[in-house]
Amino acid sequence: MTAPVDFSTFMRNYQDMVYSTAVRLLGNETQAEDISQDVFLKAYEHWDNLRDSVTAGGWLKTVTTNLSINHLQRYRKRWRFFSEITRPGDEDDREAAPVEFAAPDNFLDTLNQTDRRAWVERALEKLPEHQRVPLVLYHFEDLPYDAIAQRLGVSLSKVKTDIMRGREALARVLMRSGASHEKFDS
Amino acid sequence: MERLTPEQLEQLVHTALRSLPDRRAPASLESRVLAALERQAAIPWWHRSWNYWPQSVRALFLVFCGAVAAGLVFASLGVQTGFDSAPFQHAVAPAQALVDNLLAAGRWLASFTDRLVSQIPSWWLYGAAAFVAGIYAMLFGLGAAAYRTLWSHR
Repeated sequence: MTAPVDFSTFMRNYQDMVYSTAVRLLGNETQAEDISQDVFLKAYEHWDNLRDSVTAGGWLKTVTTNLSINHLQRYRKRWRFFSEITRPGDEDDREAAPVEFAAPDNFLDTLNQTDRRAWVERALEKLPEHQRVPLVLYHFEDLPYDAIAQRLGVSLSKVKTDIMRGREALARVLMRSGASHEKFDS
Repeated sequence: MERLTPEQLEQLVHTALRSLPDRRAPASLESRVLAALERQAAIPWWHRSWNYWPQSVRALFLVFCGAVAAGLVFASLGVQTGFDSAPFQHAVAPAQALVDNLLAAGRWLASFTDRLVSQIPSWWLYGAAAFVAGIYAMLFGLGAAAYRTLWSHR
């Protein structure tokens, strides 16, 4: 049995959206590709319903989000003991010094440039998981704080704090990118 | 430079994130999905979940389950009301003999192990238990160290 031609077309139409959703949540390209594959396998199981559905994109996005979060939570449970050890990469958890940002007009000046977009993507990918996931759910999936807290199984105040710190970390990286030509990882 | 309010920061980050185009999926994704579909299709129905079973097999399975359930109900009713168990005992006699033999072999093995263990000095056993616990703790520590060294720097 081979997949119908229109399923291949369907996949080509949505694969970038599915992959983007997964990679922004997971922060890992290999895992995102695995999750994207699982999403399309599920889509094939529901192909009779999805074939002509106008909400297929929303269905794919929801399934991608759920599978990505399930993947992260399963992984977190497996490594809960080790994850509770403070890691050197978690310095964002410390109280960060107040950051000054450029005025909004300057900040957005070069936002449309390709290199700035790449910086944003990479900055997002480098955020710790507990900041990146709620940030992505809030800004990309438009989920409210309480829904995010419920979905991730954490308190509302933690979600707000993590999103706030994620925004600050992201903005700090963006300001650095605008201020100099230093390499991202430096 | 100026400090931004949390609301301004939210708006700026929102604008920056929402301006991002979708990331291009790897070229290998489509072929991976199609290959996985091919593999799935090659799996026979009896290795797959109920949803993939043919309708006729599902119907037969339901009939079989119903027959087994009815048989169990009648058997339990028969036990309660009393019935002649001789034909039943005759039918299960070969299986009963096999079970008896297996139980006898198990009893012999248990008594042999018991005699063997009683010959070993107890401090050997304690030493072996301590050795296993030490190895386990060492592997656990190595795992934690490897995680902190390798994963935390990813």
